[in-house]
Amino acid sequence: MAVILVVEDDVFIREIAEVMIQDWGHEILSASDVNEALLHLRSSRPIDALFTDIYLKADIHGGCDLANQAIALRPDLRVLYTTANCVTDKLRGLFADGTHFLRKPYTEDQLQGSIEHLLAA
Amino acid sequence: MPVSDIAASDIVETVPSALIILDRNLNITSANRAFYQTFRTSAAETEGCHIYALGNRQWDIPALRTLLESVIPHRASVEGFEVEHDFPTIGQRTMLVNARKIFRPGDHDGFILLAIEDVSEERAARKESNRNWLLTKSIVDTIRDPFVVLENDMTIVTANKAFLTIFGSTEAETRGRRVSELGQHQWDVPALRHLMEKVLPENKPIENFEIEDDFPSLGRRVFNLNARKISQPGNHAHRMLLVFEDITGRKQRERDAQTLTNEISHRIKNNLQIVVGLIAYEIKWTHPVCIPGLKAMQARIGAIAQLYDVISQSSRGRTVAVDAYLREIAKTMSESLLGKQSGIGIAVKAEPLEIDPDRAVPFGLLVNELATNAIKHAFPDGTGHIVLSVEQIGDQIELVVADDGIGMKDKLVAKIPEKRGSDYVAIFVRQLGGTITTASAEGSGTIIKIRLPLLLVSSGGAEPLAA
Repeated sequence: MAVILVVEDDVFIREIAEVMIQDWGHEILSASDVNEALLHLRSSRPIDALFTDIYLKADIHGGCDLANQAIALRPDLRVLYTTANCVTDKLRGLFADGTHFLRKPYTEDQLQGSIEHLLAA
Repeated sequence: MPVSDIAASDIVETVPSALIILDRNLNITSANRAFYQTFRTSAAETEGCHIYALGNRQWDIPALRTLLESVIPHRASVEGFEVEHDFPTIGQRTMLVNARKIFRPGDHDGFILLAIEDVSEERAARKESNRNWLLTKSIVDTIRDPFVVLENDMTIVTANKAFLTIFGSTEAETRGRRVSELGQHQWDVPALRHLMEKVLPENKPIENFEIEDDFPSLGRRVFNLNARKISQPGNHAHRMLLVFEDITGRKQRERDAQTLTNEISHRIKNNLQIVVGLIAYEIKWTHPVCIPGLKAMQARIGAIAQLYDVISQSSRGRTVAVDAYLREIAKTMSESLLGKQSGIGIAVKAEPLEIDPDRAVPFGLLVNELATNAIKHAFPDGTGHIVLSVEQIGDQIELVVADDGIGMKDKLVAKIPEKRGSDYVAIFVRQLGGTITTASAEGSGTIIKIRLPLLLVSSGGAEPLAA
Protein backbone atom coordinates (compact mmCIF):
# COMPACT_ATOMS: atom_id res chain seq x y z
CA MET A 1 0.00 0.00 0.00
CA ALA A 2 1.31 3.45 -0.87
CA VAL A 3 0.35 7.03 -0.05
CA ILE A 4 -0.41 8.94 -3.25
CA LEU A 5 -1.00 12.69 -3.46
CA VAL A 6 -3.56 13.39 -6.20
CA VAL A 7 -3.53 16.97 -7.54
CA GLU A 8 -6.32 17.83 -9.99
CA ASP A 9 -8.39 21.01 -10.27
CA ASP A 10 -11.45 19.26 -11.77
CA VAL A 11 -13.31 17.87 -8.77
CA PHE A 12 -15.11 15.10 -10.66
CA ILE A 13 -11.98 13.85 -12.43
CA ARG A 14 -10.02 13.99 -9.14
CA GLU A 15 -12.65 12.07 -7.16
CA ILE A 16 -13.03 9.36 -9.82
CA ALA A 17 -9.23 8.93 -9.84
CA GLU A 18 -9.14 8.83 -6.05
CA VAL A 19 -11.88 6.17 -5.90
CA MET A 20 -9.94 4.06 -8.41
CA ILE A 21 -6.67 4.42 -6.53
CA GLN A 22 -8.31 3.61 -3.20
CA ASP A 23 -9.89 0.52 -4.76
CA TRP A 24 -6.39 -0.78 -5.44
CA GLY A 25 -5.58 -0.49 -1.72
CA HIS A 26 -3.64 2.77 -1.69
CA GLU A 27 -4.15 5.74 0.59
CA ILE A 28 -4.77 9.09 -1.06
CA LEU A 29 -4.13 12.73 -0.21
CA SER A 30 -6.03 15.29 -2.22
CA ALA A 31 -5.30 18.80 -3.55
CA SER A 32 -6.78 21.05 -6.24
CA ASP A 33 -3.81 23.38 -6.81
CA VAL A 34 -0.11 23.91 -6.16
CA ASN A 35 -0.53 25.62 -2.78
CA GLU A 36 -2.80 22.92 -1.36
CA ALA A 37 -0.42 20.26 -2.62
CA LEU A 38 2.60 21.99 -1.05
CA LEU A 39 0.84 21.97 2.34
CA HIS A 40 0.78 18.17 2.16
CA LEU A 41 4.31 17.97 0.84
CA ARG A 42 5.68 20.22 3.60
CA SER A 43 3.94 18.15 6.29
CA SER A 44 5.61 15.24 8.02
CA ARG A 45 3.23 12.70 6.47
CA PRO A 46 4.88 10.03 4.39
CA ILE A 47 4.03 10.40 0.68
CA ASP A 48 5.23 7.81 -1.86
CA ALA A 49 3.99 9.34 -5.09
CA LEU A 50 2.59 12.50 -6.64
CA PHE A 51 -0.05 12.13 -9.37
CA THR A 52 -0.60 15.64 -10.76
CA ASP A 53 -2.42 17.31 -13.58
CA ILE A 54 -0.14 19.78 -15.40
CA TYR A 55 -2.66 22.55 -16.16
CA LEU A 56 -3.83 23.55 -12.67
CA LYS A 57 -6.47 26.27 -12.62
CA ALA A 58 -4.90 29.26 -14.41
CA ASP A 59 -1.37 27.92 -14.09
CA ILE A 60 -0.63 26.34 -17.47
CA HIS A 61 2.46 24.45 -16.23
CA GLY A 62 1.50 24.39 -12.53
CA GLY A 63 1.95 20.61 -12.30
CA CYS A 64 5.51 20.85 -13.65
CA ASP A 65 6.42 23.59 -11.15
CA LEU A 66 4.78 21.59 -8.38
CA ALA A 67 6.75 18.46 -9.27
CA ASN A 68 10.04 20.40 -9.18
CA GLN A 69 9.24 21.84 -5.76
CA ALA A 70 7.97 18.48 -4.53
CA ILE A 71 11.18 16.69 -5.59
CA ALA A 72 13.24 19.45 -3.93
CA LEU A 73 11.29 18.81 -0.70
CA ARG A 74 11.21 15.02 -1.06
CA PRO A 75 13.96 13.76 -3.38
CA ASP A 76 12.68 10.15 -3.36
CA LEU A 77 9.16 11.14 -4.41
CA ARG A 78 7.82 9.37 -7.52
CA VAL A 79 5.94 11.62 -9.96
CA LEU A 80 3.23 10.81 -12.52
CA TYR A 81 2.04 13.73 -14.68
CA THR A 82 -1.22 13.85 -16.59
CA THR A 83 -2.69 16.44 -18.95
CA ALA A 84 -5.49 16.98 -21.42
CA ASN A 85 -3.16 19.24 -23.42
CA CYS A 86 -1.20 18.15 -26.43
CA VAL A 87 2.12 16.77 -25.23
CA THR A 88 4.82 18.47 -27.22
CA ASP A 89 8.58 18.00 -26.94
CA LYS A 90 8.68 21.45 -25.32
CA LEU A 91 6.29 20.27 -22.60
CA ARG A 92 8.24 17.03 -22.11
CA GLY A 93 11.30 19.19 -21.61
CA LEU A 94 9.67 20.57 -18.48
CA PHE A 95 9.30 17.13 -16.92
CA ALA A 96 11.64 16.34 -14.04
CA ASP A 97 14.11 13.48 -14.63
CA GLY A 98 12.81 9.99 -13.92
CA THR A 99 9.17 11.03 -13.88
CA HIS A 100 6.28 9.34 -15.70
CA PHE A 101 3.39 10.56 -17.83
CA LEU A 102 -0.22 9.44 -18.47
CA ARG A 103 -2.25 11.08 -21.24
CA LYS A 104 -5.88 12.18 -20.64
CA PRO A 105 -8.42 10.72 -21.03
CA TYR A 106 -7.10 7.65 -19.19
CA THR A 107 -9.06 4.53 -18.39
CA GLU A 108 -9.04 2.72 -15.07
CA ASP A 109 -6.74 0.05 -16.54
CA GLN A 110 -4.32 2.66 -17.88
CA LEU A 111 -4.21 4.51 -14.57
CA GLN A 112 -3.70 1.27 -12.67
CA GLY A 113 -0.90 0.23 -15.04
CA SER A 114 0.78 3.63 -14.68
CA ILE A 115 0.50 3.66 -10.87
CA GLU A 116 1.90 0.11 -10.62
CA HIS A 117 4.73 0.99 -12.97
CA LEU A 118 5.43 4.18 -10.99
CA LEU A 119 5.55 2.43 -7.62
CA ALA A 120 7.69 -0.42 -8.99
CA ALA A 121 10.27 2.01 -10.42
CA MET B 1 55.56 55.95 -89.62
CA PRO B 2 56.03 58.09 -86.50
CA VAL B 3 53.14 60.33 -85.52
CA SER B 4 55.49 63.35 -85.75
CA ASP B 5 55.74 62.75 -89.51
CA ILE B 6 52.01 63.21 -90.02
CA ALA B 7 51.02 66.68 -91.08
CA ALA B 8 49.08 68.63 -88.45
CA SER B 9 46.43 69.46 -91.04
CA ASP B 10 45.78 65.72 -91.65
CA ILE B 11 45.27 65.17 -87.95
CA VAL B 12 42.96 68.15 -87.65
CA GLU B 13 40.84 66.88 -90.54
CA THR B 14 40.42 63.39 -89.09
CA VAL B 15 39.59 64.11 -85.44
CA PRO B 16 35.86 63.75 -84.72
CA SER B 17 35.67 66.96 -82.63
CA ALA B 18 34.79 70.21 -84.36
CA LEU B 19 37.80 72.56 -84.30
CA ILE B 20 37.95 76.27 -85.04
CA ILE B 21 40.76 78.77 -84.70
CA LEU B 22 40.02 82.37 -83.75
CA ASP B 23 42.29 85.36 -83.91
CA ARG B 24 42.61 87.90 -81.12
CA ASN B 25 39.48 89.68 -82.39
CA LEU B 26 37.51 86.47 -82.34
CA ASN B 27 37.39 86.20 -86.11
CA ILE B 28 37.50 82.65 -87.44
CA THR B 29 40.70 81.98 -89.29
CA SER B 30 39.95 78.33 -90.03
CA ALA B 31 37.81 75.31 -89.07
CA ASN B 32 38.02 71.57 -89.71
CA ARG B 33 35.72 69.24 -91.63
CA ALA B 34 34.02 68.00 -88.45
CA PHE B 35 32.97 71.59 -87.66
CA TYR B 36 31.42 72.13 -91.08
CA GLN B 37 29.60 68.80 -90.91
CA THR B 38 28.35 69.24 -87.36
CA PHE B 39 27.06 72.79 -87.88
CA ARG B 40 26.03 72.37 -91.53
CA THR B 41 28.17 75.19 -92.84
CA SER B 42 31.12 75.64 -95.21
CA ALA B 43 34.61 77.19 -95.24
CA ALA B 44 33.34 80.07 -97.40
CA GLU B 45 30.63 80.94 -94.92
CA THR B 46 32.95 80.54 -91.96
CA GLU B 47 36.50 81.74 -92.52
CA GLY B 48 36.99 85.45 -91.79
CA CYS B 49 33.64 85.67 -90.09
CA HIS B 50 33.38 86.89 -86.51
CA ILE B 51 32.42 84.02 -84.25
CA TYR B 52 29.29 85.77 -83.01
CA ALA B 53 28.18 86.72 -86.51
CA LEU B 54 28.60 83.18 -87.84
CA GLY B 55 25.47 81.45 -89.16
CA ASN B 56 22.97 84.26 -88.63
CA ARG B 57 24.45 84.97 -85.15
CA GLN B 58 23.66 81.53 -83.86
CA TRP B 59 26.99 81.50 -82.01
CA ASP B 60 26.21 84.69 -80.17
CA ILE B 61 25.61 82.74 -77.01
CA PRO B 62 25.97 84.31 -73.55
CA ALA B 63 27.83 81.26 -72.21
CA LEU B 64 30.31 81.40 -75.11
CA ARG B 65 30.78 85.11 -74.64
CA THR B 66 31.64 84.45 -71.01
CA LEU B 67 34.21 81.86 -72.06
CA LEU B 68 35.85 83.92 -74.77
CA GLU B 69 35.73 87.35 -73.15
CA SER B 70 36.07 86.64 -69.44
CA VAL B 71 37.76 83.28 -69.00
CA ILE B 72 40.19 82.86 -71.90
CA PRO B 73 41.97 86.23 -71.48
CA HIS B 74 43.08 85.15 -68.02
CA ARG B 75 43.88 81.50 -68.60
CA ALA B 76 46.00 79.58 -71.07
CA SER B 77 43.38 76.85 -71.49
CA VAL B 78 39.85 75.83 -70.45
CA GLU B 79 38.48 72.30 -70.55
CA GLY B 80 34.97 70.93 -70.34
CA PHE B 81 33.13 74.24 -70.63
CA GLU B 82 29.53 73.21 -71.25
CA VAL B 83 27.37 75.25 -73.61
CA GLU B 84 23.72 74.41 -74.06
CA HIS B 85 22.00 76.23 -76.92
CA ASP B 86 19.20 75.92 -79.42
CA PHE B 87 21.03 76.26 -82.76
CA PRO B 88 18.75 77.31 -85.63
CA THR B 89 20.44 74.86 -88.01
CA ILE B 90 20.78 71.78 -85.80
CA GLY B 91 18.39 72.40 -82.93
CA GLN B 92 18.90 72.06 -79.20
CA ARG B 93 22.42 70.89 -78.46
CA THR B 94 24.81 70.53 -75.57
CA MET B 95 28.41 71.31 -76.54
CA LEU B 96 31.49 70.63 -74.54
CA VAL B 97 34.08 73.24 -75.40
CA ASN B 98 37.82 73.01 -74.76
CA ALA B 99 39.81 76.20 -75.46
CA ARG B 100 43.54 76.75 -75.67
CA LYS B 101 45.65 79.80 -76.51
CA ILE B 102 48.19 79.16 -79.26
CA PHE B 103 51.20 81.35 -79.90
CA ARG B 104 53.46 81.26 -82.97
CA PRO B 105 57.11 82.29 -82.54
CA GLY B 106 57.25 86.09 -82.51
CA ASP B 107 53.49 86.42 -82.41
CA HIS B 108 52.37 87.97 -79.16
CA ASP B 109 48.68 88.16 -79.90
CA GLY B 110 48.24 84.48 -80.54
CA PHE B 111 45.17 82.48 -81.55
CA ILE B 112 42.45 80.60 -79.74
CA LEU B 113 41.84 76.94 -80.62
CA LEU B 114 38.32 75.82 -79.78
CA ALA B 115 37.52 72.08 -79.77
CA ILE B 116 33.77 71.60 -79.72
CA GLU B 117 32.28 68.22 -78.93
CA ASP B 118 28.59 67.54 -79.34
CA VAL B 119 27.60 65.68 -76.15
CA SER B 120 23.86 66.16 -76.64
CA GLU B 121 23.08 62.45 -76.96
CA GLU B 122 25.22 61.53 -73.97
CA ARG B 123 23.60 64.24 -71.84
CA ALA B 124 20.13 63.21 -73.03
CA ALA B 125 20.92 59.60 -72.14
CA ARG B 126 22.16 60.71 -68.73
CA LYS B 127 18.99 62.74 -68.19
CA GLU B 128 16.87 59.80 -69.27
CA SER B 129 18.80 57.54 -66.92
CA ASN B 130 18.28 60.00 -64.06
CA ARG B 131 14.59 60.24 -64.87
CA ASN B 132 14.36 56.43 -64.90
CA TRP B 133 16.23 56.21 -61.62
CA LEU B 134 13.91 58.78 -60.02
CA LEU B 135 10.87 56.95 -61.40
CA THR B 136 12.20 53.60 -60.13
CA LYS B 137 13.02 55.12 -56.77
CA SER B 138 9.59 56.69 -56.44
CA ILE B 139 7.97 53.34 -57.29
CA VAL B 140 10.30 51.53 -54.90
CA ASP B 141 9.56 54.03 -52.15
CA THR B 142 5.86 53.21 -52.40
CA ILE B 143 6.57 49.54 -51.58
CA ARG B 144 5.51 49.08 -47.99
CA ASP B 145 7.84 46.19 -47.15
CA PRO B 146 11.34 47.36 -46.26
CA PHE B 147 14.13 46.04 -48.43
CA VAL B 148 17.79 46.53 -49.21
CA VAL B 149 19.91 45.74 -52.25
CA LEU B 150 23.26 44.16 -51.47
CA GLU B 151 26.51 44.01 -53.38
CA ASN B 152 28.46 40.82 -53.91
CA ASP B 153 30.42 41.57 -50.73
CA MET B 154 27.14 41.74 -48.74
CA THR B 155 27.32 45.49 -48.26
CA ILE B 156 24.19 47.57 -48.80
CA VAL B 157 23.95 49.52 -52.07
CA THR B 158 20.56 51.01 -51.38
CA ALA B 159 17.70 50.77 -48.91
CA ASN B 160 14.14 51.82 -49.69
CA LYS B 161 12.19 54.47 -47.81
CA ALA B 162 10.19 51.88 -45.86
CA PHE B 163 13.43 50.33 -44.57
CA LEU B 164 14.87 53.69 -43.49
CA THR B 165 11.59 54.76 -41.87
CA ILE B 166 10.83 51.52 -40.04
CA PHE B 167 14.34 50.95 -38.74
CA GLY B 168 14.97 54.64 -38.00
CA SER B 169 18.07 54.88 -40.18
CA THR B 170 19.41 57.20 -42.87
CA GLU B 171 20.70 56.33 -46.30
CA ALA B 172 24.19 57.44 -45.28
CA GLU B 173 24.13 55.22 -42.18
CA THR B 174 23.00 52.26 -44.23
CA ARG B 175 24.97 52.42 -47.49
CA GLY B 176 28.17 50.41 -47.55
CA ARG B 177 27.40 48.55 -44.33
CA ARG B 178 26.64 44.88 -43.91
CA VAL B 179 23.15 43.78 -42.85
CA SER B 180 24.64 42.05 -39.82
CA GLU B 181 26.05 45.41 -38.65
CA LEU B 182 22.73 47.23 -38.74
CA GLY B 183 20.73 48.33 -35.69
CA GLN B 184 21.61 46.35 -32.62
CA HIS B 185 22.89 43.42 -34.70
CA GLN B 186 19.42 41.82 -34.78
CA TRP B 187 20.19 40.37 -38.21
CA ASP B 188 23.54 38.96 -37.12
CA VAL B 189 22.28 35.38 -37.09
CA PRO B 190 24.75 32.67 -38.21
CA ALA B 191 22.04 30.63 -40.00
CA LEU B 192 20.93 33.72 -41.96
CA ARG B 193 24.53 34.62 -42.82
CA HIS B 194 25.09 31.10 -44.06
CA LEU B 195 22.00 31.28 -46.30
CA MET B 196 22.87 34.75 -47.61
CA GLU B 197 26.30 33.56 -48.66
CA LYS B 198 24.59 31.07 -51.02
CA VAL B 199 22.16 33.46 -52.70
CA LEU B 200 24.55 34.93 -55.27
CA PRO B 201 27.10 32.19 -55.98
CA GLU B 202 24.56 29.32 -55.97
CA ASN B 203 21.47 31.31 -56.99
CA LYS B 204 19.64 29.89 -53.96
CA PRO B 205 16.89 32.22 -52.78
CA ILE B 206 16.06 32.59 -49.10
CA GLU B 207 12.40 32.09 -48.36
CA ASN B 208 10.60 32.97 -45.13
CA PHE B 209 13.58 33.03 -42.75
CA GLU B 210 11.93 34.09 -39.52
CA ILE B 211 13.61 36.39 -37.01
CA GLU B 212 11.95 37.54 -33.79
CA ASP B 213 13.68 40.17 -31.68
CA ASP B 214 13.33 43.48 -29.85
CA PHE B 215 13.87 46.45 -32.15
CA PRO B 216 14.54 50.01 -30.90
CA SER B 217 11.34 52.10 -31.14
CA LEU B 218 9.50 49.13 -32.66
CA GLY B 219 9.41 46.74 -29.74
CA ARG B 220 9.09 42.99 -30.14
CA ARG B 221 8.72 42.16 -33.83
CA VAL B 222 8.74 39.10 -36.06
CA PHE B 223 10.17 39.49 -39.58
CA ASN B 224 10.16 37.07 -42.48
CA LEU B 225 13.27 37.54 -44.62
CA ASN B 226 13.25 36.70 -48.32
CA ALA B 227 16.24 37.15 -50.59
CA ARG B 228 16.98 36.51 -54.23
CA LYS B 229 19.58 37.27 -56.85
CA ILE B 230 18.84 40.15 -59.20
CA SER B 231 20.60 40.74 -62.52
CA GLN B 232 20.57 43.51 -65.08
CA PRO B 233 20.50 42.52 -68.76
CA GLY B 234 23.92 43.05 -70.28
CA ASN B 235 25.57 43.47 -66.91
CA HIS B 236 27.55 40.63 -65.37
CA ALA B 237 27.43 42.07 -61.87
CA HIS B 238 24.76 40.47 -59.67
CA ARG B 239 23.12 41.91 -56.62
CA MET B 240 20.86 40.57 -53.91
CA LEU B 241 17.42 41.87 -53.02
CA LEU B 242 16.65 41.28 -49.34
CA VAL B 243 13.06 41.95 -48.29
CA PHE B 244 11.93 42.23 -44.68
CA GLU B 245 8.26 41.31 -44.19
CA ASP B 246 6.82 42.30 -40.84
CA ILE B 247 4.65 39.33 -39.82
CA THR B 248 4.22 40.33 -36.17
CA GLY B 249 0.44 40.76 -36.48
CA ARG B 250 -0.03 37.55 -38.42
CA LYS B 251 2.20 35.66 -36.00
CA GLN B 252 0.24 36.99 -33.03
CA ARG B 253 -3.04 35.93 -34.66
CA GLU B 254 -1.61 32.46 -35.30
CA ARG B 255 -0.47 32.23 -31.69
CA ASP B 256 -3.85 33.43 -30.43
CA ALA B 257 -5.58 30.86 -32.65
CA GLN B 258 -3.20 28.15 -31.42
CA THR B 259 -3.84 29.15 -27.79
CA LEU B 260 -7.59 29.02 -28.42
CA THR B 261 -7.29 25.66 -30.17
CA ASN B 262 -5.22 24.28 -27.29
CA GLU B 263 -7.71 25.62 -24.77
CA ILE B 264 -10.67 24.04 -26.62
CA SER B 265 -8.74 20.79 -27.08
CA HIS B 266 -7.89 20.81 -23.36
CA ARG B 267 -11.55 21.24 -22.42
CA ILE B 268 -12.73 18.58 -24.87
CA LYS B 269 -10.25 16.07 -23.52
CA ASN B 270 -11.04 16.91 -19.92
CA ASN B 271 -14.72 16.36 -20.75
CA LEU B 272 -13.84 13.07 -22.44
CA GLN B 273 -11.95 12.18 -19.25
CA ILE B 274 -15.19 12.79 -17.32
CA VAL B 275 -17.06 10.50 -19.76
CA VAL B 276 -14.38 7.81 -19.42
CA GLY B 277 -14.57 8.26 -15.62
CA LEU B 278 -18.36 7.87 -15.66
CA ILE B 279 -18.00 4.66 -17.64
CA ALA B 280 -15.35 3.50 -15.14
CA TYR B 281 -17.83 4.13 -12.38
CA GLU B 282 -20.48 2.11 -14.26
CA ILE B 283 -18.01 -0.73 -14.69
CA LYS B 284 -17.73 -1.04 -10.91
CA TRP B 285 -21.40 -1.90 -10.50
CA THR B 286 -22.43 -3.41 -13.85
CA HIS B 287 -22.85 -7.09 -14.73
CA PRO B 288 -19.51 -8.67 -15.77
CA VAL B 289 -20.86 -9.54 -19.21
CA CYS B 290 -21.16 -5.81 -20.00
CA ILE B 291 -17.65 -4.89 -18.89
CA PRO B 292 -15.77 -5.72 -22.16
CA GLY B 293 -18.20 -3.55 -24.13
CA LEU B 294 -17.83 -0.64 -21.73
CA LYS B 295 -14.03 -0.96 -21.76
CA ALA B 296 -14.04 -1.03 -25.58
CA MET B 297 -16.11 2.16 -25.43
CA GLN B 298 -13.49 3.75 -23.16
CA ALA B 299 -10.71 2.74 -25.57
CA ARG B 300 -12.52 4.34 -28.53
CA ILE B 301 -13.11 7.54 -26.60
CA GLY B 302 -9.40 7.53 -25.78
CA ALA B 303 -8.60 7.00 -29.47
CA ILE B 304 -10.73 10.02 -30.47
CA ALA B 305 -8.95 12.18 -27.88
CA GLN B 306 -5.54 11.02 -29.07
CA LEU B 307 -6.46 11.75 -32.68
CA TYR B 308 -6.96 15.41 -31.77
CA ASP B 309 -3.33 15.53 -30.62
CA VAL B 310 -2.14 13.62 -33.65
CA ILE B 311 -4.05 15.89 -36.04
CA SER B 312 -2.61 19.04 -34.46
CA GLN B 313 0.90 17.60 -34.74
CA SER B 314 0.41 16.54 -38.39
CA SER B 315 -1.43 19.67 -39.48
CA ARG B 316 -0.11 21.62 -42.49
CA GLY B 317 -2.41 24.62 -42.38
CA ARG B 318 -5.68 23.57 -44.01
CA THR B 319 -4.73 19.93 -44.46
CA VAL B 320 -3.33 17.06 -42.42
CA ALA B 321 -0.27 15.21 -43.67
CA VAL B 322 -1.29 11.57 -44.00
CA ASP B 323 2.24 10.19 -43.75
CA ALA B 324 2.91 12.07 -40.50
CA TYR B 325 -0.62 11.27 -39.29
CA LEU B 326 -0.17 7.50 -39.81
CA ARG B 327 3.22 7.58 -38.10
CA GLU B 328 1.71 9.38 -35.11
CA ILE B 329 -1.20 6.89 -34.97
CA ALA B 330 1.28 4.00 -35.10
CA LYS B 331 3.42 5.57 -32.39
CA THR B 332 0.41 6.27 -30.15
CA MET B 333 -0.97 2.75 -30.57
CA SER B 334 2.44 1.24 -29.88
CA GLU B 335 2.71 3.25 -26.67
CA SER B 336 -0.85 2.67 -25.45
CA LEU B 337 -1.58 -0.88 -26.59
CA LEU B 338 1.81 -2.57 -27.00
CA GLY B 339 4.49 -1.02 -24.80
CA LYS B 340 8.26 -1.18 -25.18
CA GLN B 341 8.57 -4.93 -24.48
CA SER B 342 6.02 -5.99 -27.12
CA GLY B 343 6.99 -8.36 -29.93
CA ILE B 344 4.49 -6.70 -32.24
CA GLY B 345 5.71 -3.86 -34.43
CA ILE B 346 3.73 -1.30 -36.42
CA ALA B 347 5.34 0.12 -39.57
CA VAL B 348 4.10 2.86 -41.90
CA LYS B 349 4.54 3.14 -45.67
CA ALA B 350 2.83 6.26 -46.91
CA GLU B 351 3.10 8.57 -49.88
CA PRO B 352 3.29 12.28 -49.06
CA LEU B 353 -0.44 12.89 -49.30
CA GLU B 354 -2.70 15.26 -47.46
CA ILE B 355 -6.15 14.80 -46.01
CA ASP B 356 -9.05 17.14 -45.40
CA PRO B 357 -9.11 17.83 -41.60
CA ASP B 358 -12.89 17.23 -41.52
CA ARG B 359 -12.30 13.62 -42.50
CA ALA B 360 -9.13 13.10 -40.49
CA VAL B 361 -10.99 11.82 -37.41
CA PRO B 362 -13.07 9.09 -39.16
CA PHE B 363 -9.97 8.18 -41.18
CA GLY B 364 -7.92 7.90 -37.97
CA LEU B 365 -10.64 5.92 -36.20
CA LEU B 366 -10.80 3.55 -39.17
CA VAL B 367 -7.04 2.94 -39.02
CA ASN B 368 -7.25 2.65 -35.22
CA GLU B 369 -10.05 0.06 -35.43
CA LEU B 370 -8.28 -2.09 -38.03
CA ALA B 371 -4.90 -1.93 -36.31
CA THR B 372 -6.46 -2.63 -32.91
CA ASN B 373 -8.17 -5.74 -34.37
CA ALA B 374 -4.82 -6.91 -35.72
CA ILE B 375 -3.07 -6.32 -32.39
CA LYS B 376 -5.79 -8.16 -30.47
CA HIS B 377 -6.36 -11.14 -32.75
CA ALA B 378 -3.58 -11.68 -35.30
CA PHE B 379 -0.74 -12.65 -32.99
CA PRO B 380 -1.66 -15.24 -30.34
CA ASP B 381 2.06 -15.78 -29.70
CA GLY B 382 2.61 -12.05 -29.19
CA THR B 383 4.97 -11.46 -32.13
CA GLY B 384 4.42 -10.10 -35.62
CA HIS B 385 4.24 -7.09 -37.85
CA ILE B 386 1.52 -4.69 -38.85
CA VAL B 387 1.95 -2.35 -41.82
CA LEU B 388 -0.18 0.74 -42.36
CA SER B 389 0.12 2.08 -45.88
CA VAL B 390 -1.51 4.69 -48.06
CA GLU B 391 -1.00 5.37 -51.74
CA GLN B 392 -2.82 7.25 -54.45
CA ILE B 393 -4.13 5.06 -57.28
CA GLY B 394 -5.65 7.12 -60.06
CA ASP B 395 -8.36 9.26 -58.57
CA GLN B 396 -8.66 6.97 -55.57
CA ILE B 397 -6.71 6.41 -52.42
CA GLU B 398 -5.92 2.98 -51.13
CA LEU B 399 -5.49 2.45 -47.41
CA VAL B 400 -4.01 -0.93 -46.53
CA VAL B 401 -3.72 -2.42 -43.05
CA ALA B 402 -1.77 -5.67 -43.33
CA ASP B 403 -0.47 -8.11 -40.74
CA ASP B 404 1.54 -11.33 -40.91
CA GLY B 405 -0.51 -13.04 -38.22
CA ILE B 406 -2.77 -16.06 -38.20
CA GLY B 407 -5.19 -14.83 -40.86
CA MET B 408 -8.92 -14.18 -40.87
CA LYS B 409 -10.26 -17.69 -40.31
CA ASP B 410 -9.77 -17.66 -36.56
CA LYS B 411 -10.77 -14.04 -36.28
CA LEU B 412 -14.10 -14.71 -37.98
CA VAL B 413 -15.04 -16.78 -34.95
CA ALA B 414 -15.71 -13.48 -33.32
CA LYS B 415 -17.41 -12.65 -30.12
CA ILE B 416 -19.98 -9.88 -30.03
CA PRO B 417 -17.67 -6.93 -29.17
CA GLU B 418 -15.29 -7.79 -32.02
CA LYS B 419 -18.24 -8.06 -34.42
CA ARG B 420 -19.18 -4.57 -33.30
CA GLY B 421 -15.61 -3.50 -34.14
CA SER B 422 -16.15 -4.74 -37.68
CA ASP B 423 -19.42 -2.82 -37.78
CA TYR B 424 -17.53 0.32 -36.83
CA VAL B 425 -15.07 -0.29 -39.69
CA ALA B 426 -17.99 -0.56 -42.10
CA ILE B 427 -19.54 2.63 -40.70
CA PHE B 428 -16.28 4.61 -41.03
CA VAL B 429 -15.73 3.32 -44.58
CA ARG B 430 -19.28 4.37 -45.51
CA GLN B 431 -18.74 7.76 -43.82
CA LEU B 432 -15.64 8.24 -45.96
CA GLY B 433 -17.49 7.05 -49.09
CA GLY B 434 -15.14 4.11 -49.66
CA THR B 435 -15.25 0.36 -50.33
CA ILE B 436 -13.50 -2.43 -48.46
CA THR B 437 -11.83 -5.62 -49.69
CA THR B 438 -10.21 -8.28 -47.57
CA ALA B 439 -7.57 -10.75 -48.62
CA SER B 440 -6.45 -13.46 -46.27
CA ALA B 441 -5.08 -16.95 -46.38
CA GLU B 442 -4.78 -19.02 -43.25
CA GLY B 443 -1.35 -18.60 -41.73
CA SER B 444 -0.32 -15.83 -44.08
CA GLY B 445 -1.86 -12.90 -42.32
CA THR B 446 -4.64 -10.51 -43.18
CA ILE B 447 -4.71 -7.67 -45.64
CA ILE B 448 -7.53 -5.14 -45.45
CA LYS B 449 -7.69 -2.79 -48.44
CA ILE B 450 -9.94 0.22 -48.49
CA ARG B 451 -10.47 2.43 -51.52
CA LEU B 452 -11.47 5.99 -50.73
CA PRO B 453 -12.71 8.31 -53.48
CA LEU B 454 -10.84 11.59 -53.91
CA LEU B 455 -10.54 11.96 -50.21
CA LEU B 456 -6.93 12.95 -50.22
CA VAL B 457 -4.90 15.41 -52.18
CA SER B 458 -1.26 15.19 -53.15
CA SER B 459 1.08 17.36 -51.10
CA GLY B 460 1.52 19.69 -54.07
CA GLY B 461 -2.21 20.46 -54.26
CA ALA B 462 -3.48 23.72 -52.83
CA GLU B 463 -7.05 22.68 -52.20
CA PRO B 464 -8.27 19.41 -50.73
CA LEU B 465 -10.49 17.50 -53.12
CA ALA B 466 -13.94 16.89 -51.77
CA ALA B 467 -15.44 13.41 -51.71
